[in-house]
Amino acid sequence: MVDWQFFALLLSNGVLIGLMYSLIALGFVLVYKATDAINFAQGEFVMIAGFLVAVALGAYGAPLWLAVALALAVMIAFGFGLERVMLRPLIGRPIVAVIMATIGLAAILRGFGPLMWGAETKPLPLPIPDEPIVWGPFFIPPIQLLGAGVSLLFLAIFGWFFLRSRQGIAMRAVADSQQVAMAMGVNVERYFALAWAMTGIVSALGGLIWGNLLGVDVHLALVGFKVFPVVILGGLDSIPGAIIGGLIVGIVENVAAGYIDPWVGGGTKDFAPYVLMILALMIRPYGIFGKQIIERV
Amino acid sequence: MKRWLPIPIGLVMMSGLTLGSPGSAAASHEIVLGLQCDRTGATQTVGVHLCPGYHDYVRLVNAKGGVEGHKIRAVEIDHEYKVPQGVEAYERHKKEGAVVISLYGTPHTYALTQKLTEDRIPGTSPGFGRADATDGTRYPYVFPLAASYWSQAGAAVDFAKKQLGGLKGKKIAFLFFDNPAGREPIPVLEDLAAREGFQLKTFAVPPPGVEMGAQALDIAQRYRADFVIAHLFGRSPSVSIKELKRVGYPLRKVVSFVWGSAEADVEAAGGFGVAEGYHTMQYAGVGTDFPVLNEIREMYKKEGKEPSKEMASTVYYNRGVMWAAVAVEAIRNAVKAKPDGKVTGADVKAGFEKIKGFTLGGLLPPLEITPNDHEGGGWVQIWQVKGGKFARETDWYKAYQDVVAKHIQEAGAKK
Amino acid sequence: MIHRECGVLKTTYEADMALYPLPIARRAVGAVAALFFLVLPFSVHEYYLSIVNLVSIAVVGALGLNILVGYTGQISIGHGAFMSVGAYTAANFATRLHWPFWLSLPLGGLMAALVGAVVGIPSLRIKGLYLAIATLAGQLIIEWTINHVTWISGGVQASIEVPRPRLGGFEIASQREMYFFLLIFVVVAITGTLNLVRSRVGRAFVAIRDHDIAAELTGINIFRYKLTAFAISSFYAGITGVLYTYYLGIANYEQFQIVTSIDYLAMIIIGGLGSVLGSIFGAIFVTLLPILIRYAMEAFGGLVLSPQAVLNTIPNLRLILFGALIVFFLVVEPEGLNRLWRNIRNYFRLWPFAY
Repeated sequence: MVDWQFFALLLSNGVLIGLMYSLIALGFVLVYKATDAINFAQGEFVMIAGFLVAVALGAYGAPLWLAVALALAVMIAFGFGLERVMLRPLIGRPIVAVIMATIGLAAILRGFGPLMWGAETKPLPLPIPDEPIVWGPFFIPPIQLLGAGVSLLFLAIFGWFFLRSRQGIAMRAVADSQQVAMAMGVNVERYFALAWAMTGIVSALGGLIWGNLLGVDVHLALVGFKVFPVVILGGLDSIPGAIIGGLIVGIVENVAAGYIDPWVGGGTKDFAPYVLMILALMIRPYGIFGKQIIERV
Repeated sequence: MKRWLPIPIGLVMMSGLTLGSPGSAAASHEIVLGLQCDRTGATQTVGVHLCPGYHDYVRLVNAKGGVEGHKIRAVEIDHEYKVPQGVEAYERHKKEGAVVISLYGTPHTYALTQKLTEDRIPGTSPGFGRADATDGTRYPYVFPLAASYWSQAGAAVDFAKKQLGGLKGKKIAFLFFDNPAGREPIPVLEDLAAREGFQLKTFAVPPPGVEMGAQALDIAQRYRADFVIAHLFGRSPSVSIKELKRVGYPLRKVVSFVWGSAEADVEAAGGFGVAEGYHTMQYAGVGTDFPVLNEIREMYKKEGKEPSKEMASTVYYNRGVMWAAVAVEAIRNAVKAKPDGKVTGADVKAGFEKIKGFTLGGLLPPLEITPNDHEGGGWVQIWQVKGGKFARETDWYKAYQDVVAKHIQEAGAKK
Repeated sequence: MIHRECGVLKTTYEADMALYPLPIARRAVGAVAALFFLVLPFSVHEYYLSIVNLVSIAVVGALGLNILVGYTGQISIGHGAFMSVGAYTAANFATRLHWPFWLSLPLGGLMAALVGAVVGIPSLRIKGLYLAIATLAGQLIIEWTINHVTWISGGVQASIEVPRPRLGGFEIASQREMYFFLLIFVVVAITGTLNLVRSRVGRAFVAIRDHDIAAELTGINIFRYKLTAFAISSFYAGITGVLYTYYLGIANYEQFQIVTSIDYLAMIIIGGLGSVLGSIFGAIFVTLLPILIRYAMEAFGGLVLSPQAVLNTIPNLRLILFGALIVFFLVVEPEGLNRLWRNIRNYFRLWPFAY
């Protein structure tokens, strides 16, 4: 095969998988943007949503729309509840506390999922074809197309939400300064809860799509580790940043696997984005689109 | 605030533990088997199906009157795939008086080898662990029992040779999980490439292996492999099935090592319809059609219970039965020599080394364990995904054992 | 705990900062030491000593992490990787040059300190979440390097078998011998940390944690002290890694992955950030938790669940409890077990006249 063609295929791969990473990163960014909280359990959120859909479909034979609706409802309620029980008492505490609390939450969810629904891998079938769409030299799997589509859709919806809607503007105000927002009559706690609920929605769809791709078991939570390079590169509080960060990570991974792996005799796929991320942290820690307010010391 | 060493609290907790723990209630002649398992860690999807198979077989033996009249008891300890917990589990098993320990996990096997040898307790590591432990003279108390990764590599190359009708000038891709266990077969494959004259290219999949579009693309479109040998763990086998299929690579030209070959891997990839043609390597029989499994179902029926749902995952469940069966057979050999049932680890080791022609109606390969060969021959079967289930493609076979033996010798000489 | 402290008046700062603020504390420490060196090892089964040994190793690591996180306020998710640096350094010295443990062990610690200081460099520019993720990247990059550079890892298996530690002609092999071997390091680590945190360096760490700008204004060189904190913490981690290596007889990078880093973070959070006693509590608690749950389930689980279900439930329950405790302590008792302990002690301080 001609080399540029191989390169183009790697790029297309990277773009599609990158948008799938963005889908996970969006949930992370939403919470950070509104509440300054760091969610190290993002992967576990996705896993729990995947479990919900897979179990509803498999064990109870529910139709797909019902299973998805159920997952959405549960994840939204979960987001609300979590904010209330765990995150609210941590407001104003050092960032380390929130990070560790979500790490603890991750352990709870990783124990809870298999305890409730069994550890074995469950399929999550979706009524879309498995055969790739062949377009010239490109092979595009429908599920990745769907994932990319959902990502872009979320980008559009959240873009509109934060720029145009009243709630979105209020949420930005909360993110900017909780005290001023409060003084202006914004119910800060309500918007915190809303942000977590929105993360629930994103995670539910992430779980649906990644669950179809990988099958549902605890390994599904591992996609959470892809989030950090994505959000650091894109900017922690930027929705378009999550998309761009995802694209960068997806493309870097694929190009690294295609061109660097043969030289070093090992997998650089997970390694390269983190190296890139370290460079980004040194040069531009607030990311490509992030607000330039990172605290320097 | 006073600053004095606070250690007494630890002591209090320790002593509480001593008092509160159930003593090792080793009833006379009860023989204890230790089982390490992972039901919450990185390999939990394997553990939750495999370990129940182990327990069911032990129960079956007891239901049939035990080993030569002596009851046996399996003590399972979950170590979460963490090594320190594995060592704690080992010490607990030792305290319980286990005469054989079924290890679980490659790093654990490495960490416990020395202790097993010093304490003279045989440990089994079927399908994982150290390939060089095949050499029973160097590792007298470690029993790989099933084909090591080196033997699997030999068998995979042999299978590719038969499928392709000769390997001269062919291109073989080795798609492997990028960790020590994943890399282990590479030296053997490189030797075989030189000997058979095929081209070998390795494609690493770094953990967690949830994405391998680039590797699949490279295999199918740039390297254009004639055959793929896959050695993956966790969720990555199912991802490899999906990705190879996506880039248009025929799955009938893929053979997977033993940890990428279960029903769960196929199911997660989208079901048996999607994975049609995929070849899997097995070190225990697949499917429900074995006499011993019928006996287990009978046992459940007699108790008025449904057979455990884990039985449906036949690849891992059957392996669990195999782990237990070989260990029990070794104990049986030991008890035959010592009818009072007071066997020690050393007796069981000798028992292992007498195992020959014990196949449980085809569930096990025709193992022949000797003091020199703790692997029992390096037997595997190939099963193919065909028409909605695994269909047996080959009988038990082994290949290139001379190359494997050479590597074992080299490993021994290095130390 | 054991002694009362009435009638002791301190008249100088030196007396206030002394390692043993009260004469009786000296005797209490002596009693505890006697207990651990003379009574415990000869009164319990080797199995329990093996658990104590795991606790001992964990105490050293937790103390190191607490210096960085608890005292200096810098978060690190790379503690496990620093352990692996120490482990492989010592293993290479022990197998290639056949150096005894008392040489390879400090070398392992020093190498870890060096690597730790390098990974800590981003802390000069960033903090909080960014630092957490930078150290996470450090963890992954160190793991990858050990995994792929066979010169370090000693072959494709990335496992190096090390000989048992020897002292003169005596080989330390059994759990009981190992217990004494490890206990010495625990004592050294505890005394070292106690002395560090009351020294000039330790107070600088605390100042940086409490307010970095104010600390800088009082003349503390933040850059130097942050790197020092990373180096000291990693030195402890490196020693922990070497101890694991000698305890298990093998250096293997798979036991020093992210889960290990998270376990150690959990220890200091549950135990109590910024407290030596808390580190010890945390190490004991996190190590014993799975074992205690297992015993409890073995004893009582059969009453409500089938044997198979018990086996499936134990580990998942442990994971849930582990996470729940982290969350609980963060939300409800941020100062951890150490605070609970102090509350109990303060109650008994005036008991029975608590008015």
